[in-house]
Amino acid sequence: MDAWWDDVFAAYALNIDDLWRRTICTAPSFPAGDHIRRKHRQRETNVTNEAKATKRGAPKEKFNFFQDQRVRSVLYQLLTAGIIGWMVWYLASNTAHNLSARGMNTGFGFWNVSAGFDTDFKLIDYTPGIGTYGRIFAIGVLNTLLVSFLAIIVSTILGFFIGVMRLSSNWLVAKVALAYVEIFRNVPLLIQIIFWYMGVFSVLPVVRNSLDLSFGSGWMTLNNRGLYISTPLPGDLFWLTPAALVLAIIGAVLFRRHARKVQNETGRQINTLLPSLAAIILLPLAVFLATGTPLAWDMPKLSGFNFVGGTSLPPAFLALLISLSIYHAAHITEAVRAGILSVSKGQSEAALSIGLSPGRVMSMVVIPQAMPAIVPPLISNWMNVVKNSSLAIAIGYADIVSLFMQTALNQAGYAVEMVGMTMGFYMVVSLTISFFLNIYNKRVQLVER
Amino acid sequence: MAMIKAEKTPERSAPISESSVIGWLHKHLFSSAFNTLLTFVMLYIIYLTVSGVFSWGVLDATFVADNRRECYDNSLTGACWAGVIHWTNNIFYGRYPREEIWRINFGGLLLVLWMAPLWMSRVKGKVLVATTTVVFYPFLASYLFSGGDKGFFMQIMVAGAMTAFALNMANLLAGLFRSQGLNSFLIKALGQENASDKTQRNILLLLAGIVFGVAFFWQMGQTLQPIVWTKWGGLFLTLVISGVGIASALPGGIILALGRRSKLVIVRVLSIGFIEVFRSVPLITVLFMATTMFPLFMPEGFVLNKLVQVIIAVVLFNACYMAETVRAGLQAIPKGQYEGAHTIGLGYWRTMRLVIMPQALKYMIPNIVGSFIGLLKDTTLVSIIGLFDILGMLRSISKDTPWLGLHKEPLIFGAILFFIMCASMSKYSRHLEVKLSAGRTH
Amino acid sequence: MKLKKHIAVLAALSAAVTLGATAASAESTLNIVKARGNLRCQVGPPSPGFYNLDANGNWYGLDVSVCQGVAAAIFGDKSKLEIQSVSSQARFTALANGESDLLSRTATWTLTRDTQLGLDFVTPNFYDGQGFTVRKDSGITSALQLKGARVCVTTGTTTELNLADFSRKNHLNIKAVTFGDYNVRDDTFLKGGCDATTTDKSSLAGNLQAFPVPSNYIILPETISKEPLAPAVRQGDNQWEDIVRWTVFAMINAEELGITQANVDDMRANATDPNVRRMLGVEGNLNEGLGLDKDWAYNIIKEVGNYGEIYEKYMGNGPQGIGIPRKGSLNALWTHGGMMYSPPMR
Repeated sequence: MDAWWDDVFAAYALNIDDLWRRTICTAPSFPAGDHIRRKHRQRETNVTNEAKATKRGAPKEKFNFFQDQRVRSVLYQLLTAGIIGWMVWYLASNTAHNLSARGMNTGFGFWNVSAGFDTDFKLIDYTPGIGTYGRIFAIGVLNTLLVSFLAIIVSTILGFFIGVMRLSSNWLVAKVALAYVEIFRNVPLLIQIIFWYMGVFSVLPVVRNSLDLSFGSGWMTLNNRGLYISTPLPGDLFWLTPAALVLAIIGAVLFRRHARKVQNETGRQINTLLPSLAAIILLPLAVFLATGTPLAWDMPKLSGFNFVGGTSLPPAFLALLISLSIYHAAHITEAVRAGILSVSKGQSEAALSIGLSPGRVMSMVVIPQAMPAIVPPLISNWMNVVKNSSLAIAIGYADIVSLFMQTALNQAGYAVEMVGMTMGFYMVVSLTISFFLNIYNKRVQLVER
Repeated sequence: MAMIKAEKTPERSAPISESSVIGWLHKHLFSSAFNTLLTFVMLYIIYLTVSGVFSWGVLDATFVADNRRECYDNSLTGACWAGVIHWTNNIFYGRYPREEIWRINFGGLLLVLWMAPLWMSRVKGKVLVATTTVVFYPFLASYLFSGGDKGFFMQIMVAGAMTAFALNMANLLAGLFRSQGLNSFLIKALGQENASDKTQRNILLLLAGIVFGVAFFWQMGQTLQPIVWTKWGGLFLTLVISGVGIASALPGGIILALGRRSKLVIVRVLSIGFIEVFRSVPLITVLFMATTMFPLFMPEGFVLNKLVQVIIAVVLFNACYMAETVRAGLQAIPKGQYEGAHTIGLGYWRTMRLVIMPQALKYMIPNIVGSFIGLLKDTTLVSIIGLFDILGMLRSISKDTPWLGLHKEPLIFGAILFFIMCASMSKYSRHLEVKLSAGRTH
Repeated sequence: MKLKKHIAVLAALSAAVTLGATAASAESTLNIVKARGNLRCQVGPPSPGFYNLDANGNWYGLDVSVCQGVAAAIFGDKSKLEIQSVSSQARFTALANGESDLLSRTATWTLTRDTQLGLDFVTPNFYDGQGFTVRKDSGITSALQLKGARVCVTTGTTTELNLADFSRKNHLNIKAVTFGDYNVRDDTFLKGGCDATTTDKSSLAGNLQAFPVPSNYIILPETISKEPLAPAVRQGDNQWEDIVRWTVFAMINAEELGITQANVDDMRANATDPNVRRMLGVEGNLNEGLGLDKDWAYNIIKEVGNYGEIYEKYMGNGPQGIGIPRKGSLNALWTHGGMMYSPPMR
């Protein structure tokens, strides 16, 4: 009993050659010459002679309209387009009918209507009862982008750091890094977010006993209402200080280039780190002092119920930022590790044998070669950060989903439009990111050639 | 003059730096001043974490209490696991009637037994086993879990499932004890080795038919108490959603992936569009869309229950991720395989079915397990839209009057549970990956 | 072929899970419910006092009792009931499209909702109002002192709008800290993330019991809104509306007449008061207008209890109660100065 599944299983059992041998041996004449003949007919236009020879050799066949590949391909496509088109039409007409039957609002009229509710975290001005739904959308978008952007930076740095720890020669360090990765990768992010949210609160002190993170200067305080940071208020000549900083960085880069060049030509190594650091720190400092310290701070001050002044980051924001960073750092760690391991061991051994220090082996030999393997999963992780920031809804951070797709939708209706806009926003973000990823991939591939 | 030593030189033991504990310690923990410092810092961090967690979670914890006040009375600084323990049934089975819980356990056991042959090298006919699992098990399980009156179709499927299961178990035994498939074992046992293929096939079909008949008449007399889906919950619901999600996402993903690689422009564009749209938005927006927009899409008066809405959303979402997994699997197949299949005259669908997919599926298994882990974790999102999955249950504990305000312990319990499930599965998938890639290079 | 099979598998799988698909029709709700054999009653995500899950997976609470009462009135068995827990966003749609027969959750009866959402509110079974809880050591004794305070509030409900109105009216510049989930809202307030938390006073009182040291917090005297919480049904089925309304009234009336779960059998057999005899179906034909059995009210009291008993069990000091005092509140019987008043049953 040689059923078809036995054939499949034969193929499944790693040995595809076997299947062919069997098929060919047991069936000396091909089951149906159809496919091959069809194939030849297709080639006819290109290689006339060969095709004619085949045609002459092959038995005369009737032209079967539905067996022709081109006809079939057009038919298949028309069929698919027809089915999809019909489905879209069907759903759309149902939706239109239901919307009118339930008297629900449609259109984008809500954009300029004022929204009655408030939100506790916003980057642009908004007053409840005056600000519009358009503004609410903008607040949501900015909040999502802000928390995603910060989480991407933190998780990438943390991920690289732990990725290197994971490959440390110190057994304990490697195992701790492994435990970190396993624990945070295998627990659902939603549980982590809720847990951090509550965990952060239960650890932090109340307002009156705020924790001062800046050694008594009141520059940065942390309590269970969030993180309060002083806002800098630059004076007249303050612009000179950042200008000096930029200047120092440019100088350091140039110096480094020069050092590389010297090393390439003569083999002499110049220590660039110390002089560069000195320049980058001392020059702006000197300018800052010389211009008479033109910078004041808007300090957060306790007044009545709350801190006034400065910039405050609410706990929901902090919890989301922390959990996103930690969760995605665990994923990035694995990407980094896989990338580094993908560089053949010979590379680092060779580098060590020519006398490079382990740090230099990492930075000059291994990492540059690992980057092409690291970057694609890294960027897809970044995309996931943006998407996962939508879990903010569980803890009430005003991101686009919780602010626009939930609160605004509940207040104003317009389900189709608002869901569409929210999804559209995520699509734009992800398309932008994959656009840059493609550019990077093209560049890397060119370099490889 | 003996130049050659008669006896063997005794083996020298490895140098102390390689073999002894001290040597190991030196090499792995204290090889340099910096490493030593790191080791001590790490030890301190581990000590802080472990001792804190241990005293909160075990030493000062309360395991037996009737309400939260009693926990507080026992210890103010320790965990109150008693609430979680009281809620165990809710956490695992949801609101499923307590006297019917055996049905869930039985369903799970059936699945394990059914799939077990796939992991045994001596058992034959694995593809058939896998196929029957996909075709029959869902019906048996859905009847087992929801109960009620069976329609005619359902009766057929349930009887078919029982037949398939019985044959599967017989095949398992034949494989284990005789190392042969059930079919050849039966033919031999009936002394029909020399009969023609057709006779053999008819005999086997007859036997299967008899088993089916017996199963059919037996099940006609059996009716399970109906249980509505709103009583499903806890880990059980999480597993149902993610199980159905992954099982239906695989065929969907294969279709989408083939569509994406198709030469037909319209099919390709539609597939790419579909995949990219769903891959670029978060699951929660898809779930919201399902609950707010599906009712609008449906003709008036037709209502899908929320579980179905959620499952459709999860399947759509996951099929698009699965499509990318399948695509990666397909890309791993060398072009020669396609060309070879063409050469022997196989058409598109047969090439895919007989040659490409079996190989590609094998390389995809680790990724599929990975997707399942991801889906299992993502399923917790359904608690946001009001289903009582495991997270929904864990969060309801803090609303039950005796345990008002008990948040932390349930969440930690959930985290541990997920960790165990996901970590063991990912360990398995890594093991599989190593095994498969070893097979590949040879 | 492969495609066909896959479609078949997909279709089969979806068919397997579509068992619960339902269709709303123009038939009377009572007939639909009777034909189905159980009542589908909608509540919300667990909320102390009103609807909660216990460790055995059973629902309990004041609003659940209304569901049970209606089921008992129709079937004589309170367990012929399917409780649906629906998030607040989907609550009115689920009722409108026939998924639920009855909505018995903390929905406030307002004119807009009554007229625009295609549903009818029946009669309040709980009078609530929005208030504030603050820490005792904050020194606040009145809501008007909340100038510039941060107030925790759940999003997507009337409480958020009430808070904004209150703040604007009194120029308090209150900063609303919004949450999708009241678990988190309470926790945030508890850990000091807000100066006050606001929601209906019943919930405030319930939540207070869950705080580690309840005496450290006080509920401010102001009530900034009227929140009559009432069950609701779909518009257009008067018989069904009457059944639900008179189920609630029967519970209230029973308390007034002194009929309890314990003595209802005795009362049916021996009572001489014509009001009791009419209500319990011994004489008269009150049941006919409702389309129910003669002992519908008896079943409600027998299976679920009278209003006072239910209140004590879930809102008062019973083992599952959350300790909201009834005396002197709007929820006392009209004979005790409250608002619980049933029209005569005759």
